[in-house]
Amino acid sequence: MNIRCARPNDLMNMQHCNLLCLPENYQMKYYFYHGLSWPQLSYVAEDDKGRIVGYVLAKMEEDSEDNPHGHITSLAVKRSYRRLGLAQKLMEQAARAMVECFQAKYVSLHVRKSNRAALNLYMNTLHFTISEIEPKYYADGEDAYAMRRELKSFEESKSDNNSVTATENNGITTASAVNVNTNAFLSN
Amino acid sequence: MPSSNPLPPKENSLFKRILRCYEHKQYKNGLKFAKQILSNPKYAEHGETLAMKGLTLNCLGRKEEAYEYVRRGLRNDLKSHVCWHVYGLLQRSDKKYDEAIKCYRNALKWEKDNIQILRDLSLLQVQMRDLEGYRDTRYHLFMLRPTQRVSWIGFAMAYHLLEDYETALNILETFRKTQVPSSGYDFEHSEFLLYQNMVIRESGAFEDALKHLQTNKDQIYDKVTSQETFGCLYLKLGMYEDAKNEFNKLLERNPENIDYYYKLHDAENLRTDQEKYEMICKYRTKFPRALMPRRMILNYVSGELFRSEIDDYMRRGFHKGIPPLFVDLKSLYKDKEKVKIIEDLLQSYLVALKTTGCFSLNRYIIIVLIFEIIFLAKEEKQPASAILWVYYYMAQHYDFLKNTPKALEFIDTAINHTPTLIELFIIKGQIYKHAGDVIEAYKWIDEAQALDTADRYINYKCAKYMLRANLLKEAEEICSKFTREGVSAMENLNEMQCIWFQTECALAYQRLEKWGEALKKCHEIDRHFSEIIEDQFDFHTYCMRKMTLRSYVGLLRLEDVLRSHPFYFRAAQCAIQVYLRLYDRPLSDIDTQQQLNTANMARICKKKKESKNDRVRLPDICTKSRYYCCYLDEDSFSRWSRCTRRPDLWCIALFACN
Ligand SMILES: CC(C)(COP(=O)(O)OP(=O)(O)OC[C@H]1O[C@@H](n2cnc3c(N)ncnc32)[C@H](O)[C@@H]1OP(=O)(O)O)[C@@H](O)C(=O)NCCC(=O)NCCS
Repeated sequence: MNIRCARPNDLMNMQHCNLLCLPENYQMKYYFYHGLSWPQLSYVAEDDKGRIVGYVLAKMEEDSEDNPHGHITSLAVKRSYRRLGLAQKLMEQAARAMVECFQAKYVSLHVRKSNRAALNLYMNTLHFTISEIEPKYYADGEDAYAMRRELKSFEESKSDNNSVTATENNGITTASAVNVNTNAFLSN
Repeated sequence: MPSSNPLPPKENSLFKRILRCYEHKQYKNGLKFAKQILSNPKYAEHGETLAMKGLTLNCLGRKEEAYEYVRRGLRNDLKSHVCWHVYGLLQRSDKKYDEAIKCYRNALKWEKDNIQILRDLSLLQVQMRDLEGYRDTRYHLFMLRPTQRVSWIGFAMAYHLLEDYETALNILETFRKTQVPSSGYDFEHSEFLLYQNMVIRESGAFEDALKHLQTNKDQIYDKVTSQETFGCLYLKLGMYEDAKNEFNKLLERNPENIDYYYKLHDAENLRTDQEKYEMICKYRTKFPRALMPRRMILNYVSGELFRSEIDDYMRRGFHKGIPPLFVDLKSLYKDKEKVKIIEDLLQSYLVALKTTGCFSLNRYIIIVLIFEIIFLAKEEKQPASAILWVYYYMAQHYDFLKNTPKALEFIDTAINHTPTLIELFIIKGQIYKHAGDVIEAYKWIDEAQALDTADRYINYKCAKYMLRANLLKEAEEICSKFTREGVSAMENLNEMQCIWFQTECALAYQRLEKWGEALKKCHEIDRHFSEIIEDQFDFHTYCMRKMTLRSYVGLLRLEDVLRSHPFYFRAAQCAIQVYLRLYDRPLSDIDTQQQLNTANMARICKKKKESKNDRVRLPDICTKSRYYCCYLDEDSFSRWSRCTRRPDLWCIALFACN
């Protein structure tokens, strides 16, 4: 399966793949928000006909400017394509982009306590650790593990011509920002 | 521009507070302040206050009153830009963009340099793709605010969208020169540079693009895009060594990207499969953990070489137990010779695994060549699961070749071997589906679903198969296991824009000849597409600020052809078929009557409602099917006529369209 960075025209097909695989779904606008804020972070796996069989939808958390970190909003692989290593590879690409493009120090995510496959992937293959338990995080009342992975290893491996000096970033910062319509219509 | 009816200081400050409340969404308070002004008989008909009251009411969902107040306000103060602007905003909130544009233009007549109105106008213009209007407005804004970054970007973007590359590039380059190069990390500048480079490339000036990239590469943080762009430019300019270098670097990062290998084929000017095979072999050795080179090799070899390569490939798969092995290899089945070789090998594995537990009968057959010394190695015994994966594969193999009895035989053997493996039931259902037995198909998937209720993918499969069997109620019930509690599954799936489900429902209703219900689902899907087009709106401002301009242009281009998405095609096709069916044979009262009689008493009321939906009148049908037709291009039409095998329908559709 071909693995590449997601483009705007992949976003609808990612939404479709998400609806097949996971109970946590989002409207298209939220996919647009990801793709148009951090175009480098989301990746897709596609079959030879160009159909999306897996994706990772990722973002930066911009609440902490001094400690930028990435977040995995959603990850899924169609059942008939699992155990090929796709999820692992998608995650590695996203993590590297977080470091290179946004100087992320770590990446975080949430996972259901009962999701054995995903937990195995995160803990054993990708070396995430559990940072806390969030009770009743999911709509159906299930608890979540909040997990993290330090991204130092990527920083060292990356090419050295960019000095790592963080400067603040003054864009719009939250998901809801996009939903807010421009109200300030009278500028005096 | 002062209003024709200016307020004295006290009222004026109240008015300012209405504005502030509106901005901060404190609508109730806003209404209070409006009331304070309007209750003074002297200002009871104050236009701008009335208009603002209307706009605030609109935010509280009181649409009718909103229009009343805004219009009244406007009538009382036709020369107020505020009233016109408010009227525009009201129309905009109702998505009446053309009307809103007219209002903004009127507002600008009275206050031609109002930045906020100009900005709002520019948003509508780009949303409606009035690109010339957009350009003029962006020019106006640029002249008013030449120091702001967004002024430059919006100005250049307008020319870019109009494909006036020269002007766009002039603006971008002038802007870039005003930017003091920051010493540290600056993501937005990095995005800006990549956008500038994109415009240069689109203008066709590849050499300039290369120079630009070389000069600025240290300020670009998006290494993937930067390297990909370098690679493609080198290729275009015939600098093959450099291109090779770039794509090799990219492969180090992501050896699963098929495009990088293709680009290397081009850079090395490889023509024959043999050459490509040799090249990919090198990468297989270089990236032993990567799947792509291994898999690609199978495309470039044939005959005996293919036999030995695929032998190795499949053994690994069966040994480790990789369920997707068949879907991975499926595209090789175009080639009959390859299919034959695969089948021979599978059969030989079966025989050998049964007798020796290995993939070969002669366990000493493996020859390892190291420094030209020949070793005989003993093949290790395979895990017990290996034979199961061979059965599983063979079932899919024969299913693909439409040999249903054999496929079923193998899947049953597999199920006997390991009755707990869910994948097997899925395949069994799939075999029945391909054989056309929708009922048996869904029963097996339902079985699988019951064994793993925590996995949504299998839940989806089950629902889909149920819908293929026209079991709408059952499908909704299955889906409801993964939708939010408290709302109906149907509603939740609609809210989440679950198009596959709605399409399958529409098709099921169509098969059941429940025309009204089928159309309802099609319209829901159509509405999602309108919504997704609507979604662009906020990004016009957002992306300018974020500087993610390449993706923004990508979004605009996507939205321009959004309804050419296959999802839309399927729904539109269904809607058109239903409309044409109703045109061909309008529902008579007898039809309706019969439907009523067969229905039991409890369902009569519901039926009545349905049949009302069903009775679509003729001119209606023409306009409605024309609505869907106009999104389908000629290509889609011919595809459609082919798949319906009803050229007559196609003609009517075209007729309706013209
Ligand atoms: C979780 C999920 C994304 C994994 O996708 P995948 O492409 O099959 O995963 P990979 O092949 O990359 O797996 C890498 C490793 O993770 C572990 N792993 C993956 N699936 C596993 C499973 N079902 N059981 C145990 N371990 C598993 C294994 O260690 C595996 O390595 P191995 O195959 O060499 O043993 C996929 O199962 C999925 O889409 N599930 C439904 C959606 C979901 O739960 N998403 C996560 C939400 S937080």
